[in-house]
Parts: sequence; C-alpha cells; structure tokens
Amino acid sequence: MDYFYSYATLAAIYVVLGLSTNLLVGIVGIFSVSQAAIFGVGAYVTGYCLVNEVVGFVPAMLLSALACLLVNVVVTLPALRVSGDYFVVTSFGIQLLATAVFTNWTGATGGASGLPGVPPASLLGTELVEAWQNLALALGLMALCCLLFHLLLRSPYGRLLRAVREDELAVAASGKGVLRAKVGAAALAGVFGGVGGSLYAVFLSFVDPSSFDLNGSVLLLTMVVVGGARTLLGSVIGPFLLLALPQVLTMVEIPTTAAAAARQGLYGALLIAFMVFRPQGLAGEKL
Amino acid sequence: MTAYLEVQGVNKRFGGLQALQDCSFTVGQGRITCLVGPNGAGKTTIFNAITGALRPDSGHVAFRGAALSGLSTQAIVRAGIARSFQNLRLYAELTVLDNVASAIPGQFGEEPLGALFRPFRTAAGQRRTRAAAMDTLAHVGLADRAGTHVRNLSYGEQKLLCIARVLATGAKLLLLDEPTSGLSGAALEAVLGLLRRLRDEGRTQLIVEHNTRVVMAVADEVLFLHQGHLMAQGTPAAITTDPALAEIYFGGVL
Repeated sequence: MDYFYSYATLAAIYVVLGLSTNLLVGIVGIFSVSQAAIFGVGAYVTGYCLVNEVVGFVPAMLLSALACLLVNVVVTLPALRVSGDYFVVTSFGIQLLATAVFTNWTGATGGASGLPGVPPASLLGTELVEAWQNLALALGLMALCCLLFHLLLRSPYGRLLRAVREDELAVAASGKGVLRAKVGAAALAGVFGGVGGSLYAVFLSFVDPSSFDLNGSVLLLTMVVVGGARTLLGSVIGPFLLLALPQVLTMVEIPTTAAAAARQGLYGALLIAFMVFRPQGLAGEKL
Repeated sequence: MTAYLEVQGVNKRFGGLQALQDCSFTVGQGRITCLVGPNGAGKTTIFNAITGALRPDSGHVAFRGAALSGLSTQAIVRAGIARSFQNLRLYAELTVLDNVASAIPGQFGEEPLGALFRPFRTAAGQRRTRAAAMDTLAHVGLADRAGTHVRNLSYGEQKLLCIARVLATGAKLLLLDEPTSGLSGAALEAVLGLLRRLRDEGRTQLIVEHNTRVVMAVADEVLFLHQGHLMAQGTPAAITTDPALAEIYFGGVL
C-alpha cells in the first residue's frame, strides 16, 4: 500500500510537471529540453525555505511558483526571437548550466549531496506526515492544475497559442501579439513547474541535482510524447504509465545495478517507437 | 478621387538590390486596385512596407490621412489594414472556424489571466467570437466546412479561407497577395465573385495579380510596378493594351 501511495503521489507531481512541458512543447511549439531545470528551481526554492525555516510551506510553494515563472520567462527568451530547431540547442545549454549551478552553488543547494531533511508539507498548522495526506495534497493540486490547463486550452488564448505554433507571421499579420502570447505561456509553464517542484521537495524530503538533470528533462518529454502531446488526457496518462514501468521492470530478472540503465534504455526505445509508430502518443495529437 | 491609401516616395534596399525605388501611388476608397508587374517588381515588398512588416529606408505611407510610419503590424491591423499571403500561411492543424476566429480582434480571454480566472466571461466571449467567425465563413461560402481541418480543404477553399481570415480582422483595406493564383474554373469564379461582392459592400482592395484575365475581370484601377517603381497607373484596358508595358511584362511577345 505504501508503494501505491508513493507511486500515485509521484505520478500526480509529474502530471503537474508534464502540463508545464506540454504547454511549452506541445501547445506553443517551444521545444524546451530544460524543463527539469525549472522543476529543480521550484524544488530548491521550497527545500531551501523549509530547511532554513525562512517561511512555511504555503508561502514557500508560492515563492517557488514565482521564481520558476521568472526563470522560465528568462530562459525562454531566446525562443521568443529565434524559433524552431535553434532553440533546442539553446535549451540544451540552459539545462547543462542549471545542473552546474545546482551542483556547485553549495551555500544554497547543498551541492552534489543536496538538501536533506526537507520537512513535510503543512497546511493550516497541520503537518502532512501520513502517506495518504501527501497523496491528497498532490492529487488536489494536480486537479487544480488540470482544470487551469483545460480552461486555457478551450479559451481564445489557447487558440492563439496554437496559432503561434502553426505560423507566427500569420498571427502577427492578424494583429495579435506573438511575443506577449509566448511570454504568457512561458510564465504559466513556469508556475506549473514551480508547484510541481515544490511538491516534489516536501514529498521526497530530499532535493539533489540528479533529479533535475538532462535525464529528468528527457523523462518529462517522454511522458508527454507517450501520453500524448497537446491534450490534457495525454499529460495525465504519460506520468502514471511511465512511473509504473520501474515496477514492471522489477518483475523481469535483471540485477539492480543494471536497472537504472535498463530504464533509461527503455525510455529511449519508447520515445523512438512512439515517434515512428504513433507520433500522437496514446491520447494526443501529432507533435 | 480621395487618397484612401497613399504611398509616397518609398525606398527600400536589400543589400545590392533596390527593391522599392521612389515608389508612389494612391488607392481609392471602395475600389479594387490591382498591382501588376513582372516578378521582382516589388509587389510583395510594398505589401510588407504598408503592413509594417518591413521598415522602408525612406518615404511614407498614410491611411485615411494618418501616417502609418513607425507603427507596429498590430497597430496597423487595428487601424484597418490587413493582408493575406501568397503562400497562404493558414494554421494547418486548426479547424477552419478556428483559423477565422483567431483573427477576430478584441476577444476576452485572449491572455492567460482572463482565460484562467474569468472562465465564464471567457466562454461567453468565445460563443460570440464563434458566431462572428461563422458569419464570416458564410460570407465567403465556407460555412459547411467550419469544423474541418485546413489540411483537408481543397486549394480553392484554402484561398477563400485566406480572405475570410483577413475579413475577420475587421479591416477596411484588404491587401490580397495573389488571391486567385493556381485556381481555375469554378474555384476561380468563386474567388472573383467574392472580390466583387466585397467591393460592393464597401471594402477597399489592393490585389497583387498576375493573370491579365483576372485583372480585366475585377480591377477598377491598375498599378504597374517595375523595378520597385510605379511605371503606369490606369484602367485595366489602358494598362493591358499598352505595348510598352507588355514589352516589360512579357519580354516583347504579346
């Protein structure tokens, strides 16, 4: 049962992060491979605030969201000018840079050994120590983020973002502001990333750079691609499915030392297979 | 004839190429003005200069007496000028209705805060936008295709949709870049009929056109552009029968 709770909690957190990635990559077409870095900023801000008792959980989560909003807008800035393939390279650089900062800014992040002992989340003076409480918190925030994503997709803003993905020049010629639309999407994706990161920090009670490296970004992209880009359902299916995989893998007889590598290999194979055979994912549109 | 749109002494150089050279002309209100000339004459460049996509090196453009110089594309669309593209630039993965709806100005919830925190007002606005988009589609004869994805449209339908998208901006002056190219038969007639209908409703049109037959069929006025400069201006009959212009256009064979 404990395993189920922690699986579902983690999956709910990854749904929030997946929404962030899906919004940028799927809806607006800003192909970011640095979403784990944003996720990391969210986790570190909450981790730092709680470990050093700067503020409580709720303000820490708001700070995480705000920090990620700002950071995501700044790192997405190149995509506001250059579009398409060039941004992937820029984004790759941002991811490497972020990992370097997480690993070396020891005063704030604890360096490679990370920030241990992040206290559990607390709401209205109650510490959420039980597994089901964490799950409820994660599911509640996941539901809220899903609702926001849904409202966004069906609004004129959602249509504008899709149009920006299809043809920026035509959007501008229709008298709409492309730059403003992209900044708004980056900000919103940042908020989702911050909320997800903040939840992650209190749920694992430990924050270290390895969760927010390039593999983390690839995992998020894999979730979006496998689940289905551009749709809400896809963003929900992907994390629940992919996070169940390690459990499935334990049923196969492979040594634990090879398990991590096997998982990475499987993610890679999945990405390729989906791109070739089902580019729209399980419940999405073609990327 | 009042100068609805006035282009005055516009110059634009791309490296070694003088794309527009002291280009001046006027467009009369409520008329169809066809812009003709050989490839590379600067027809699309002058569209870019009028819509603010391109900043001229010198010269100015005025619309209904107000200077457009220095205005953003957005501001120029708000002022009432919108364009279509030679290579269509439709949103291929969006529905026909969404292609048109996306161009309608002043929608509530077209930015994140309104969309997320005023969902009911956004939804009400969305209904109005859809209704307006349907009206525009009905106007160009695409109402029955509203739910279709653009990639499933015929080429003729895509050309009509381009005009619908320009109309949806509410523009008074339509700049149409080759709205009939690649069309023949019924599809061509559908676009020509639409252009005439729009004129009868009082929309002013400046149209880049290659097909002499089309020019004869719809134009009130023809502008002949050559090497970025206005060579001649006149009625379709006068321009198309001028041997000197035919010499430039067809290389002497007519």
